[in-house]
Amino acid sequence: MNPPVIDAQGIGLAYRLDRNRTGTFKEFAINMFRGQVEHDTLWALRDIGFQVAQGEIFGVVGPNGAGKSTLMKIIARVLPPTEGRVVVRGNVAAMISLGAGFNPELTARENIVLYGALLGRDIKLMRERVEPIIEWAELQDFVDVPTRSFSSGMVARLAFSVATDTQADVLVVDEILSVGDYSFKKKSSERMEKLIADGSSVVLVSHSLPLVRKMCDRVMWLDKGDVKMLGDPEEVVAAYEAAADARS
Amino acid sequence: MTTTPVYDSSQRRIPLAELRHFWEYRSLIRLLATRDLTVRYKRSLLGVWWTLLNPLFMVVVFWVVFSQLFGRQAGDVPFIVYLTTGILMAQYFTQGIIAAGSAILNSRGILVKVHVPPEVFSAAAGVAAAFNFMISLIPLIIMQIATGVGVPVTFALTIFSALAMLLMVTGLGLLVASVAVRFYDVFDLVRVLSLLVTYLAATFYPLEIVPASFLWIIKANPLFHHIEVFRSLAYGAELGMLNVAAMVVSTLAALWLGIVVFGRSWKNVVVTL
Repeated sequence: MNPPVIDAQGIGLAYRLDRNRTGTFKEFAINMFRGQVEHDTLWALRDIGFQVAQGEIFGVVGPNGAGKSTLMKIIARVLPPTEGRVVVRGNVAAMISLGAGFNPELTARENIVLYGALLGRDIKLMRERVEPIIEWAELQDFVDVPTRSFSSGMVARLAFSVATDTQADVLVVDEILSVGDYSFKKKSSERMEKLIADGSSVVLVSHSLPLVRKMCDRVMWLDKGDVKMLGDPEEVVAAYEAAADARS
Repeated sequence: MTTTPVYDSSQRRIPLAELRHFWEYRSLIRLLATRDLTVRYKRSLLGVWWTLLNPLFMVVVFWVVFSQLFGRQAGDVPFIVYLTTGILMAQYFTQGIIAAGSAILNSRGILVKVHVPPEVFSAAAGVAAAFNFMISLIPLIIMQIATGVGVPVTFALTIFSALAMLLMVTGLGLLVASVAVRFYDVFDLVRVLSLLVTYLAATFYPLEIVPASFLWIIKANPLFHHIEVFRSLAYGAELGMLNVAAMVVSTLAALWLGIVVFGRSWKNVVVTL
């Protein structure tokens, strides 16, 4: 059996909040001189452990502020965990907020190359992939238009097209399937299904519980930075729904 | 089939690995630097001319004032050539540090969403500053020809001066960035300090006017040695091996220090961006 694609052991992430809200270096230097540099620690995640096998679709649910997005960023290597250890085997394609790497002043073509390069792809290869990427996003008429004049749906379409252009071992997806119109949703889920069929693992964060129930093999319920429940989608989603109903 | 990359968060970042990043991401660095330059030149009315005119304006002002004091000659060359070489290097130094120091902060929108070594952005800003410096060598060449100094073959080797300064400003820029990501006003401090450093590097006055008891201040300044090496390559001033050694050592030290300090602070800072 292959080792898990994602192996998280006791990971935690702390945000440090300055108590004196020192915004400038001058204030900080003065406070340091007076010996008044203190900060509070806020744990966004604490003691999270789970594993994702190859080809598995792993769902994460939880209320706002539960630490879902923070967890995605840790898996995507953007944030280093404060404690614990996470091992990710393979390429990660993070679709955390689509179009984050785009420069609005640059054209769609330039942005495709730049975004691909930011994702660590070969630039020569990206130049060759511009046409198929544009075509899939159905933006042929806008290749040489700066993306600042794009609608948010167009930006999302383009970014999704770039991010899923090459096979990744792990897809980190944060509410992505909720963007775009009906036909784009259909098209993007078809593409996701193809990537999954080719062996990609998926970590999916979503507030759409029917989607989570339908797609995922296992689901983790996060609440205030802790794992509340981890297991069968039906059971976890049902328990999460029951808890949310009880609260309201 | 390539080997699968493995990310292990418990692995310590070692400074040498960061140097490897600069190489691995070289095409991204080039892309970011060209983007930086094209956006800048497209937006400004004067475009590339600004890069040429800006140091020349400074040269004119300094020349009008200080040629009265120091005469028309500085050693074997006209004072204006001596002055221009100093100011070009000083501007490269100051603008390079500010650009490399603010690049990471300016790209934080990307850095909190996509995994890219942040050092790459500083290096790209440094490369753009180096390109500007290379462009500004054109008026220097014209000036050397016009004043009869001529252009020795060693002028081609000024590329090594540009390269050493690139590594130096990238390192110092990273050092600035490690503070700047938390306190933006550190740039005020950097501007004052870099002005001090450039003024203490014999940029606009000949070394002969400095009293012997203060010479050590100038000689302890890494920028002074960078400028001296540049001058000897540009117009054949006497080259001291000590200058070269000081340039190399200070460059490597700045780069190493910047990478180490930035690496440590980034881990704590990225979560607050």
